[in-house]
Amino acid sequence: MLTKRCMTLAVVLGVCFSAGVVRADIPVENEDKFEGFNRAMFGFNMTLDEYVLEPLAKGYRAITNQYVRDRVSGVLSNIVEPVSAVNHLLQGDVVKSGQNIGRFALNSTLGLLGMYDVAGGGWHLAPAKTNFDETLATWCVKDGPYLVFPVLGMNTMRSFSGEIVDGFANPLYIATYGDSNINAKVLYPYAGLVMISKREKSIEFIDSFKQSSVDLYAISRSAFLQNRKKMARCGVVEESATPDYDFDFDVEE
Amino acid sequence: MKKLAFLVVCLAFVATNALAEINTKKAEAFIEKLTTDGIEELVNSNASKAVKQEKFRKLFNEDLDLDFIGKFVLGRYWRTATPTQQKDFLDAYRELNIQTWSARFDEFKGKTFEFQNVTPSTSQDQVFVNTIVDMKNGQQPAKVVWRVRQKGETFKVVDIIIENVSLAISARNEYAGYIKANGLDALIKDLQTRAKKS
Repeated sequence: MLTKRCMTLAVVLGVCFSAGVVRADIPVENEDKFEGFNRAMFGFNMTLDEYVLEPLAKGYRAITNQYVRDRVSGVLSNIVEPVSAVNHLLQGDVVKSGQNIGRFALNSTLGLLGMYDVAGGGWHLAPAKTNFDETLATWCVKDGPYLVFPVLGMNTMRSFSGEIVDGFANPLYIATYGDSNINAKVLYPYAGLVMISKREKSIEFIDSFKQSSVDLYAISRSAFLQNRKKMARCGVVEESATPDYDFDFDVEE
Repeated sequence: MKKLAFLVVCLAFVATNALAEINTKKAEAFIEKLTTDGIEELVNSNASKAVKQEKFRKLFNEDLDLDFIGKFVLGRYWRTATPTQQKDFLDAYRELNIQTWSARFDEFKGKTFEFQNVTPSTSQDQVFVNTIVDMKNGQQPAKVVWRVRQKGETFKVVDIIIENVSLAISARNEYAGYIKANGLDALIKDLQTRAKKS
């Protein structure tokens, strides 16, 4: 009897510990149903980036210094603070929603429209960004297929829907709603500045990837999809969102 | 008597596995030293690009298990590769990583790593050391996780996971498609060319 139990124990333990040498497949590659279309769009976006966005981002860097750019990106992220507040509320996170409201109130006034993050400094209201994509994830909405859109870039069906909703919830859109003249004059430059400011921050990052990557499309997709896995699904935050794949393989060392 | 022998074997089995467990405190201390050496003494110093790259080469060879990462990155293609292909791939992969990462580490200039905790992984000789990098200027802090492997008394980094993006998985996904379409030799050649260019 004891022998039998012991053997079972040994087998179970053996299975548990040898599980470390069974290679697990990494699913990211199989999530791209429209690869042909996506690659074409990615190529189009990269060309657009090379001729339009990258030169604009470099120009922006040339005519400003880090101090100015930090103030600009502060103002830009302050504008969308209410969007985070609403989304946190929709996710049932009242504390974080309050944090966003507090940040918006303090940074818009004392922080001179968000140029200075006074809320994060002396008031200890740390940045807490979220979006409708994350809200949808909280509501158990599935991610949908991976899609690369012209100009807007890498998305999934859910992240794309989220972006559209967040766009309508943007305070600048709401403030200028109804007056098509002011609307266009404010929203186009704003959207342009958001893209340029974001691109400026990743000049070195993208350059380094262009240099080292043998397939920029594949590595971008892999990184994008891995990054999305950190979102809480159905309101449950995983204890560890770290990709826990098997890092052993059956090769002799 | 036979039963007793089995029991002894069982206990020994459990004991050796318990002993093989990684020392989490030492793993964290290892990453603390790595970030201090790498960021404070290298990135924040005013040394020239060439000097920095040389120091990085030393740091990378000592603290990163690029052979281990390289094997993981090739995945099933590692087993079908010839010894020459394996060597050439690892050499090119190591060189390219040293160059890319010495440049990428510059992004951490002036930033500090805050150590959170150490969490277990599915592999018993490996743990995740969780850190947070304060990005400043009202930006959300970035989550940087170091996958550390213990081998004997030495610790080595086998993966760096930034905002949930694993470098090893990204490279594995990238190379798998490339090898499938063009073959391993083409990949090695491409990596060699890229390593020479930078």
